[in-house]
Amino acid sequence: MSESGPSGQASDVLHPGDAHEEHEHSAIPYVVVWIALLLFTLLTYFTGKHHLGQWALPIALAIACTKSALVVLIFMHLNNSSGMPRLIFVTSLIFVGLLMFFTVGDVATRFRPATPAGAPFGTEPSQPEGLLEHELPE
Amino acid sequence: MRLSEADSHALAGAPAAPSYLEDGTTVMSWLNTRDHKRIGVMFLASVIFFFFIGGVFALLLRFKLLEPGPFFVDAISYNRLFTLHGVVMIFLFLIPAIPSAFGNFVLPLMVGARDVAFPRLNLASFYLYLTGAAIAIWGMLHGGADTGWTFYTPYSSTSPTQVAPILLGAFILGFSSILTGLNFIVTTHTLRAPGLNWMKLPLFVWGLYATSIIQILATPVLGISLLLVTVERIGGFGLFDPARGGDPVLFQHLFWFYSHPAVYIMVLPAMGVISETVCAFSHKNAFGYRAIAFSSIGIGFVGFFTWGHHLFVAGQSTFVGGAFGLLSMFVGIFTAIKIFNWVGTMYRGAISFKTPFAYICGFLYFLVFGGMTGIALATTSLDIHWHDTYFIVAHFHFIMVGASVMAFLAALHYWFPKMFGRTYPEGWGLVAASLIILGFNATFIPQFLLGNFGMPRRYYQYPEHFQALHVASTAGATLLGFGFVIILIYLAIALRYGERSAPNPWGSKGFEWMTASPPPTHNFDEIPTITQMPHDYRTHEPPGVIRVA
Amino acid sequence: MSHEAAGLPEGIIGHHFSSLSRQNEAMRLGMWLFLATEILLFAGLFTGYAIYRYEFPLAFAAASRHLNLTAGTVNTVVLITSSFTVALAIHFARVDRPRAAAVCLVLTILMALGFLGIKAIEYTEHFHEQALPGKYYAFKEVTIPGAAMFYSLYFLMTGLHGLHVVAGMSVLSWILWRTLQGRYSSRYYTGIELGGLYWHLVDLVWIFLYPLLYLI
Repeated sequence: MSESGPSGQASDVLHPGDAHEEHEHSAIPYVVVWIALLLFTLLTYFTGKHHLGQWALPIALAIACTKSALVVLIFMHLNNSSGMPRLIFVTSLIFVGLLMFFTVGDVATRFRPATPAGAPFGTEPSQPEGLLEHELPE
Repeated sequence: MRLSEADSHALAGAPAAPSYLEDGTTVMSWLNTRDHKRIGVMFLASVIFFFFIGGVFALLLRFKLLEPGPFFVDAISYNRLFTLHGVVMIFLFLIPAIPSAFGNFVLPLMVGARDVAFPRLNLASFYLYLTGAAIAIWGMLHGGADTGWTFYTPYSSTSPTQVAPILLGAFILGFSSILTGLNFIVTTHTLRAPGLNWMKLPLFVWGLYATSIIQILATPVLGISLLLVTVERIGGFGLFDPARGGDPVLFQHLFWFYSHPAVYIMVLPAMGVISETVCAFSHKNAFGYRAIAFSSIGIGFVGFFTWGHHLFVAGQSTFVGGAFGLLSMFVGIFTAIKIFNWVGTMYRGAISFKTPFAYICGFLYFLVFGGMTGIALATTSLDIHWHDTYFIVAHFHFIMVGASVMAFLAALHYWFPKMFGRTYPEGWGLVAASLIILGFNATFIPQFLLGNFGMPRRYYQYPEHFQALHVASTAGATLLGFGFVIILIYLAIALRYGERSAPNPWGSKGFEWMTASPPPTHNFDEIPTITQMPHDYRTHEPPGVIRVA
Repeated sequence: MSHEAAGLPEGIIGHHFSSLSRQNEAMRLGMWLFLATEILLFAGLFTGYAIYRYEFPLAFAAASRHLNLTAGTVNTVVLITSSFTVALAIHFARVDRPRAAAVCLVLTILMALGFLGIKAIEYTEHFHEQALPGKYYAFKEVTIPGAAMFYSLYFLMTGLHGLHVVAGMSVLSWILWRTLQGRYSSRYYTGIELGGLYWHLVDLVWIFLYPLLYLI
């Protein structure tokens, strides 16, 4: 946190790493990441199409997280940015997690009759009549 | 080379440049300004205006409650009045009051900057505030809303009143709040004067920093939840409608994910003001500087883990309710750390009992009382008895009015000479402070009792045996209102005819007093180099030394 | 500070900043804070999605399979590629090739338009099938409780994302204009960099929307 702060007269000096390295800047990582993103899209497409049951959601989310990590680190330059942007980004994700954790946690541990009308009744989320897993349209 | 004390005082006291107030006197020079001080003053004028509007709504409500039966206004107007009182006081007064008005004015001075990082965004924030306020006021004049400021679904998506413009107004006000928070964080990071490291930052800046984090992280969630209610009203999307499989409690989760941390948006800057003024009027440096600074961040963080205590009786799961109840109590730890350190700062200090100090005393008493009832309310089993009664109303007014408004008034009196270069009449200041503290107690202590006896909040009629306490509360509210009007009158007079104040009338060693009062447009002729902690009264050196290149 | 600003367009450094690099740092910080607010804005919708998918797992699966998977996949590829071209545009600005940067920005804006076009075709299909949100839902093929909720969330999430695509396009058009004016070079490219950051965020949101909406 404090490395971004000014210290005496140093604030008038150019920050190292901020400029004058541009002419060596390479576009190759972007091409690699682009190809990787396309491959991951293909992967999520095929795993998604096969409806892998309870593994479908974790796999889809894992692939999406990997793709996001590539975009954030390479395209958005978080891999070589200063500490603050990283801290801000990670903090925002933590608070997204917080919001979802308690809200989903509430719904998941609630007294079932307190769930909305039309929702399946019982102690577990169950399947509505006449529609079993294998009958889902492809 | 470093200047001696006398030289730097001469520099600060008699600047060559005109003050920010004299630098352009046309209306356009104010409306189109980028100067954080002018934007702060415009915010100050606006929030005071809306404070009186909200206050009038409150007095009308209290007037109706003199009688148990129908009296003065009909039931729907009563519902509109308490909604408008809440909306105006929360979104138009409390949220922007200290950060946008005093924070804007003082923060760049405290960190030794010429302006905030993004002056144009700062002005945009002010105009977003005005736009949001205008839309909300339009809605109020064309039917108002009767949902309460919390806009709970499914009623808010079906109420026949004008809920949509008020939702939209609150949505836009959220953006204003976000821009201010963003500006403060970036300013604190990138525009600190040489020598000013994080452990020398004034405690008000720490308070604003924690506030800004909450504004950035929580306000967008309010935005989306208000947007969803609007969509639900207009399009019948059914997201919160039990008849369509929706879950009304989801709205409460999203709403309180913002609105509980928003309580700390209102109270953290207030705590920052108290940290500054308690040092200035005790003439002592902060006792436990680090503890106060980090407990601000601690409150900001823990404040996000407590929102479920608003949902104890809403159908939330017992497990999550218990977790939220426990987590809510952690806020008490950080608040207690602060109170201990403020009292420690006063201990053996050279206290000068001026008007701001009277408000500091009021603040401490109200915060302890309001905070302790908060711990009781976080206990799930007790909350079931008090939920949605006057007990809750009294509890949060102790924090919101008792703590935040006391700090607002302390700030107003402490920085009045800084902002306008004039002094207010000290005698009248103390009279008004006594009236307000007395009136406040008379208003809300009867409400604690009413709530405990079972009087539900937001009810138009009530059983006759509650009348005595209601009358007492209304009498207190009248006294309270009278106190505010006295302040308005003497400050308005002082603005024009008040005595010219000395550059540093309190002898304060806060960093904002390093420059002239009122400051020149560019704040500092030379950016000072900070060599001391804020409020270091042990030496007679000024806190900043002006470097001569 | 003057040696830094020499040769740069007038008025790039604000009077209150001690140096250009300090100002760049402030602008980046401001942009990331803004992106954090955007992430939290979408978080509200994702939370709604999470609890309703938990409540209605089969209805969500059934309704999802009536979406146009091909269109969704093509749009994913389009958006990923547009993110790539924006990254290239920043790269070209940094290595003093403004014309190549401008070409990349034009490509990005065209792909954004393509994305919106495909989305419009999908929306038209939903309107014809009456697969509409909430009380307007009258889709014949999926009638179990919760399907209407899926379409409510689908329209809200893709709609809000679509608004961000439009906003991103406007930002990129403005940046294209500044690029053609010769504003950005290896010495100053913060503006184009921040516009790019916003566009990448739009891409990030879609990376999650695609599997959550189309691939249940």
